[in-house]
This record gives sequence, structure tokens and C-alpha cells, in this order.
Amino acid sequence: MGKSGAGKTSMRSIIFSNYVARDTRRLGATIDVEHSHVRFLGNLTLNLWDCGGQDAFMENYFATHRDQIFSNVEVLIYVFDVESTDIEKDMHYYQDCLEAILEYSKDAKVFCLVHKMDLVQEGSRDRIFNGRCEELRERSKPLHISAYATSIWDETLYKAWSSIVYSLIPNVIQLEERLTNFAEICEADEVVLFERTTFLVISHTSNIAHTDAHRFEKISNYIKQFKLSCSKFQAQFKSMEMRQPNFAAFFDVLTSHTYVMVIMSDTTIESAVTQMNISVARRYFDELEEGLMSN
Amino acid sequence: MLKPKAIQQVLKQATSGGVRATLLLNSEGSPISFVAETDREARIYAAIASNVWTTFEKGTKSMTQDDGVRFLVVECEEGTLALTTVSKMMLCLVAKPEVGIAILKAKSDALVRHLEEPLTNVMTNVS
Repeated sequence: MGKSGAGKTSMRSIIFSNYVARDTRRLGATIDVEHSHVRFLGNLTLNLWDCGGQDAFMENYFATHRDQIFSNVEVLIYVFDVESTDIEKDMHYYQDCLEAILEYSKDAKVFCLVHKMDLVQEGSRDRIFNGRCEELRERSKPLHISAYATSIWDETLYKAWSSIVYSLIPNVIQLEERLTNFAEICEADEVVLFERTTFLVISHTSNIAHTDAHRFEKISNYIKQFKLSCSKFQAQFKSMEMRQPNFAAFFDVLTSHTYVMVIMSDTTIESAVTQMNISVARRYFDELEEGLMSN
Repeated sequence: MLKPKAIQQVLKQATSGGVRATLLLNSEGSPISFVAETDREARIYAAIASNVWTTFEKGTKSMTQDDGVRFLVVECEEGTLALTTVSKMMLCLVAKPEVGIAILKAKSDALVRHLEEPLTNVMTNVS
């Protein structure tokens, strides 16, 4: 949820419907609530409710459709426009929202996205975001919130959505264990698991420290763009390998709903062996996914 | 799954006494692991070995009814090449000309014995 023009539909389109950032200009205002079902990891269905933000709709949500909108909520994603002139009103709606959430589904996780960060000058981004964050935390009590600064023009959007999705996957700990195990056997530096359609990071494991904390989201972004350009030539992106003097990177399908990225810094290890290891690991991860299905 | 380092260590043990290089290739001929003096050398060996092997295999399959070639020795001017399969992969040894064919065969048999079971285990899981 969030006020009108904040960018809710834009981000949804980019993450789930393969839009590129500039295509979102074509999007019109959302009327009432747009429901979308996104199959994520195959059997996990995300039920996204994209709620139009015009005042009239907002009033409507809080008054007449209160129980419909706010019951059985797993996650509330509230989008704030950082450029908004009327912060007081935003906060007012936000708090109304939280009240309704507390009433109908009090276990819901709350994510606040401070959106359109690209419009703020680079130097003052942190300061403004931290200020907003403080205020939101204060206003959200007793609920715990996670806040992210986002923009559709860079990787921050992927970062935020990855952590939202991460909080929704039931057996993420097992998944992480298996990934670490896998990395150890193939002597990889880093293994990252991506969801297949959205290319959001599900889980990752690293054996060496890396300086760039946003690298996964950047990669998500690049690979997704690449995948889209592949489809323009009627070609399906399946796998790819990059070899540099000091490292090799592999992207490949892992299970029917995930992609894996393996980074190897030991270049004496042949590509064929890593590719084989990935294909052997498929069964190991398929098992886990089947387990998820039966639950 | 295969531990790249472990497999290389096994190959290293056979690369002695006049053996120049030991390579393990997959069915397409790309190296899984190898021990050789240089990378370039190993890649050339791999390309030649897999080419020779597949050519012979194609030829014999049409002539005989059984499962084709099992072991191949090629004596060249600058050395001897021994080829065999282990599980679904190909094992290739390159030796200096003075190395006897029997010792080459013995080395390759020993490697096959050692690698057969673990590699078969891995290969059955490849999807």
C-alpha cells in the first residue's frame, strides 16, 4: 500500500512482469485493488494485492472493506514517496493501516519502502533515509518494521524484495545449509540461489569476504536484463559461463524454479567439473523443493 | 559430486616415471581434471584424444556386435597415448616414447580400478 503515485505498481511490474524501468511510464493509476498471483518457487504462490492509492480508495479500504483487505495478511509492504510534500498525510494513512493490521492479522511482517530515492541528491540520501526510518520506527510501535530505500533505476529494489521474499520462504535454513555444503564440495567462493522468473536472491553462501554488499542485486538486475534481451531474439536463456584470468562465474538452472550462480576463484578447476557438479546437485535440491511441495 | 582437488590428486599419482600427462575427460571431450606441464598442452591432448577415441568407436561399433573399444594405445613419434573409459568418462595417459606399453596399461588399469566406483556413483546422479 501507499499513497497515489508512490510507485507500487511500477515496482510490481518490474519485479514480477519483466518490465524494464522506463516502461513503467506507461502504467496508469491503479483502480481499487489489483490482485495478482505470482507463482514463486513453483508451489509458493504469492498473492499480491496492489492497492490503488487515491484518497477515495484509501478511505474505502479503511471503512467498508476493512476486513477483506486486512485479514490474512502475511506481509504489508508500504511504499512511501520520498519526494512527497504531504508527509503528515502519508503517515496518517500508514498508521491507519497499521491499526487495521494489528486488528486483523497481527503476525504480519511490515516492510516500509522509501521509494524514488533516485530523485534525492546522492550525498543526502543516507541522511534523509535515516531520518525517515527513525520516524517510521517511532510511529510503527509496537510493530517491528524493516525499512529499505529503493529506486526502480538501480539494484535497491531487488535488495528490498529479496529480503521480503526471504522472510516468506519456510525452509530457508535447510536451503542455506545445503547451499553451504554444495559450495564446500565444489570449492566455490560463492554460491547464490536466484528465483527463476523474478531473479530475486533467495539465499547465498560465501567463503570469502567481499567488499560490495550490493553485488547480488546488481547481478539480479544485469542477468534479468540479459534474459529479456535474449527473449527478443526468441532465445531462451539457460546457462552461461564467464571466465576471467582470476575467476570464473557460472549461471545455470538448478531446479525447475531456481537458478544458481557459482563463483570460482581457483581457475585451475575446469568448467566441465563445475557444470557436472551443478547437474549432480540438482537432485539434492529437487528433494528439498519436493518437500516444500508436500507441506 | 566431485571434489576437483581430490580427483586431481589421484591423477597426479599416476603422472610419474615417464608419464607426461594424465587427463580425465567427460563424454564430450572437455577436461574434467588433468595433470600436465602446461594448460595448453593438456587441452591439445584432450582434443586429440577424444577425437581419436570417438573415431575408433564409431568405426568399430559398425563392425562388431559387442560394446566397442575398451582400450586404445597409439604410438607416436614423440610419445605413447593410452586411452580407456572409466564410468562414462575417458581416461587418457600420455607417456614418453621410452615408457613400455605394459606399464602404461598397468597404470591406467590401476586408475580405472580406483575411480570406477566413485565416478559411477556421481554419473548416475547427473540429470
